[in-house]
Amino acid sequence: MVTESDTESIQVEIIPNRYLTPATTQRLLNEIYGSGGITRIMVHGPNLPRSVPYGPGRGTPIEENRDLLIEVGGQAFELSVKVGRIRLELESEEYLAGLKAACERALPFSFQIKRGKFFHTRPTITDYAKFGKVEDKRILGLIDPKAKRNRLAILSEVQVTVDDKEEC
Amino acid sequence: MAYTPQFYPGSTSVGINRRKHMSGNIEKLRDIPEADVVAIMGHRAPGADYASTHPPLKEMGEPDCPVRQLVAPTAGAAAGDRVRYSQWTDSMYFAPSIPYFRSYWGAINCKGCDPGTLSGRQIIEARERDIEKYTKQQYDSEMTDVALCSMRGCTVHGHSLRLEENGMQFDMLARTEMGKDGNVYAVKDQVGIPLDKKINLGKPMTEAEAKKRTTIFRFDGVPMGGKIGARKFDEAIEMTHHMWEYRSKWGYRPE
Repeated sequence: MVTESDTESIQVEIIPNRYLTPATTQRLLNEIYGSGGITRIMVHGPNLPRSVPYGPGRGTPIEENRDLLIEVGGQAFELSVKVGRIRLELESEEYLAGLKAACERALPFSFQIKRGKFFHTRPTITDYAKFGKVEDKRILGLIDPKAKRNRLAILSEVQVTVDDKEEC
Repeated sequence: MAYTPQFYPGSTSVGINRRKHMSGNIEKLRDIPEADVVAIMGHRAPGADYASTHPPLKEMGEPDCPVRQLVAPTAGAAAGDRVRYSQWTDSMYFAPSIPYFRSYWGAINCKGCDPGTLSGRQIIEARERDIEKYTKQQYDSEMTDVALCSMRGCTVHGHSLRLEENGMQFDMLARTEMGKDGNVYAVKDQVGIPLDKKINLGKPMTEAEAKKRTTIFRFDGVPMGGKIGARKFDEAIEMTHHMWEYRSKWGYRPE
């Protein structure tokens, strides 16, 4: 289903007071997923490179950042960011209370939930270069414009398909 | 009466800590072996000879210069060592020493060094055996909390980022880790190359301890104006206003 209007759905941003470990991220995302009403979701945070990007140690593998696997909604993903912010769109405001409760259950520290407009609605040139004409506008704002790959996962109640990864 | 330098104004705990850092009157909290500090710095293998860029000064024959006769060279300069660096990233979440105060400490207390302050990191350059000595002093003293401060030669960001769940400063190269025994271990040198063995840096400060020892003014800690709601601002903010006024009006020429 294509999101037709922003007037019914709401967009929120969850900002935990600490960066999340993969275990906490998994717990939080599953709680959010279980609370229902999610149209789309994006996790955001500083990059975790697989090798030292520059300096005298350039190219040295960083084992700590590899295989950070989490399982959300029965689907395994590999994290490549340190999760510090989660943006999501809910079908309607009635799911907001459930989302807050899910965060309270999953996070052992304080957090903020902000309402606002976090996903753009018109395709940018980068979107056009990556996707061509965008049919399903839900993917707008989910992709890091600088990412070389799509890094997008689509979870559906009917069928689960994964392009690459679940984070942007 | 003997002159006592007045390093920083104010009666807040942060003002007092800033004075301590600048004066060099800092408390020693731990003793990390010199070989471990050298390994974390990563410039030379512990126990290896110092590389040099020129012969020892005694062999070189210096020109007849009154300043050179007045100032004794540091050990590193006398031996002709290379110039090397140590760079620190200190979290803004109440790390004991924030970048400027490492620089003040270096500029006031460390002979023959070149401190540089950037927005979220601080570097000191000096001759190799001198910088090793200065780095060990920083590691061992209250200027450093092993969870909130770390040596980062590259990929330095972490100062203004939120902390990790275990209270460590975020480091995308994972140079330090929290052990199961509650101690922080250095597992890589400052540029991200794995060390031969983990180096135990000791236990991190508690949050209350870090807040007690910090040199950062924060609204949720100790604000620069002193006690909130007080009738008079702390001297630190008055001094800053005073300096800004002079600087703006007269280009810092109080006439």
